[in-house]
Amino acid sequence: MNKSNLPPSRFELEVPNKLKTEEMTLSMGPQHPSTHGVLQIILKTDGEIIDSADPRIGYLHRCFEKHAENVTWHQVIPYTDRLDYIASMNNNLGYVIGLERMMKLEVNERAEHLRVIVAELNRIASHLIALGTYGLDIGAFTPFLYTFRDRERILDLFEEICGARLLYNYIWVGGVAYDALPGWRDKVLQFCDYFLPKIKEYNDLLTFNKIFIDRTANVGVIPAELAINYGMSGPGLRGSGVPYDLRKIDPYSIYDRFEFDICTGRGEMGTVGDCWDRYWVRVAEMYESVKIIRQACEAMPDGDAKETVPRNIKVPAGEYYMHTESPRGELGYYIISDGGKTANRIKVRSPAYSNLSILSSIAPGVMIADLVAIIGSLDIVLGEIDR
Amino acid sequence: MKDYFRNIYQAIVTILIGMGVTFRHLFVHAVTIQYPHVKRELPARSRQKLFVNIDDCIGCFQCARACPVDCIMIETVKAGKDEDLGETSNGQKKRLHVVKFDIDMAKCCYCADCVFPCPTECIYMTPDYEFATYDRNSLLLHFAKYSPEQVKALHERQEKEALAKAQAAKIKAAAGTKKPESET
Repeated sequence: MNKSNLPPSRFELEVPNKLKTEEMTLSMGPQHPSTHGVLQIILKTDGEIIDSADPRIGYLHRCFEKHAENVTWHQVIPYTDRLDYIASMNNNLGYVIGLERMMKLEVNERAEHLRVIVAELNRIASHLIALGTYGLDIGAFTPFLYTFRDRERILDLFEEICGARLLYNYIWVGGVAYDALPGWRDKVLQFCDYFLPKIKEYNDLLTFNKIFIDRTANVGVIPAELAINYGMSGPGLRGSGVPYDLRKIDPYSIYDRFEFDICTGRGEMGTVGDCWDRYWVRVAEMYESVKIIRQACEAMPDGDAKETVPRNIKVPAGEYYMHTESPRGELGYYIISDGGKTANRIKVRSPAYSNLSILSSIAPGVMIADLVAIIGSLDIVLGEIDR
Repeated sequence: MKDYFRNIYQAIVTILIGMGVTFRHLFVHAVTIQYPHVKRELPARSRQKLFVNIDDCIGCFQCARACPVDCIMIETVKAGKDEDLGETSNGQKKRLHVVKFDIDMAKCCYCADCVFPCPTECIYMTPDYEFATYDRNSLLLHFAKYSPEQVKALHERQEKEALAKAQAAKIKAAAGTKKPESET
């Protein structure tokens, strides 16, 4: 292979006597711990440098969209849980708000606050997984144990309010499935107080560790323009310095009432849009989520959260696109109804899918070890990509 | 050269900071629970094994219809005219023999959608999570209290009644169609 055709790499390798290395095709995954699920990447490598990376998906396809056409409107909610299975609350929220806007349904105030609290708690839980497994990919095992310890507390809170730890089926059309028990709000506030000092622990352990910075800074740089062209969203796009957050730009539920900032990457450790920036956006977002949770807990009125849940869901004929900010980015539901008992068609715009698609354009020229860092920083969930 | 030593210095310092965090955790209680010996008490809402209080079931099929994965199988037989099946605990009259109420826990997706529509609140999820088995068939839970002989007898009676009804309808129809025949 002609060396001049190769994309510019981070390391200019000096090959003695200009020896040509043979191109090798390497199949990474689908059973590979650092691909975060069943993702296969066909790598063409020139020595240690990647020539092209071709993600192959579909190993976790479960026909969500076809299922959604065959079960009633309400029965779709448990299926949405299983899209992005580590941020189920956010998946419920997008679908349910889409239906409510089609039905022009007003939701109880208490239910709205509960929704925001659980969605933000779930965002923290999801980012904790992202942080822990990112460290794991790069070779730091300890932070993983710390983040999972704290995620466990969030899951305990969820178990108390809705009985499930992973697949909640909690947010329903017109409200929520269960009202919060007395004392639950105090437990959430206690968790916030407990959690903030822990973020400093992760920072000490991982974020500002010199080895970690060397592995992630200046690696997998995604320029803002490229990110937008590929339809990236969420921490991936914000890491490239684009302040795009649907909670601010197109507020849904009651997000317009809360004060929080959009965190963007600033290239503190290297270039804007590198892996460290995307990682740092997630850490900073956890602070913002805690802010929102505290405001929502204080503003939450008393009352019955199940008051506005309708007995029968009758969705008028029409179509609606609802997009919400899930921990991975813009999660969209395009719902088409013909006024019947089931959906005519539900299309899901999965953020992780768009985020993954950029891989083949930034992978050429990096080392294989750095590819692991790039995939980890994109924080993909295969359940959502394949649906 | 300066950068070289600064990098080494930073690497050592940041690793020591991280080590400090882990060292401090040596002196706190472990979060691990020794599971089979120590069991965490689950909250009352915990959604694990389904349970049906069959005495309260009126056989209305609401739960089976709400289930997104069709894991609830119910079969009912109408009660006879002079048969009293009693009442449920919230005062609803039972009119059907629930001869079969099976839940396949292997199919169940633990969404608890079946719990809410129940008019007598007789199906609910319990915090019992230790029901792993060696045989998949034992995940099929049977709740109905009828013995196979009773079910057979009930079915035979139902068939007989249906037959009698059909015959009666036939005679009625024959009587009804005589008139128009005579008119034509």
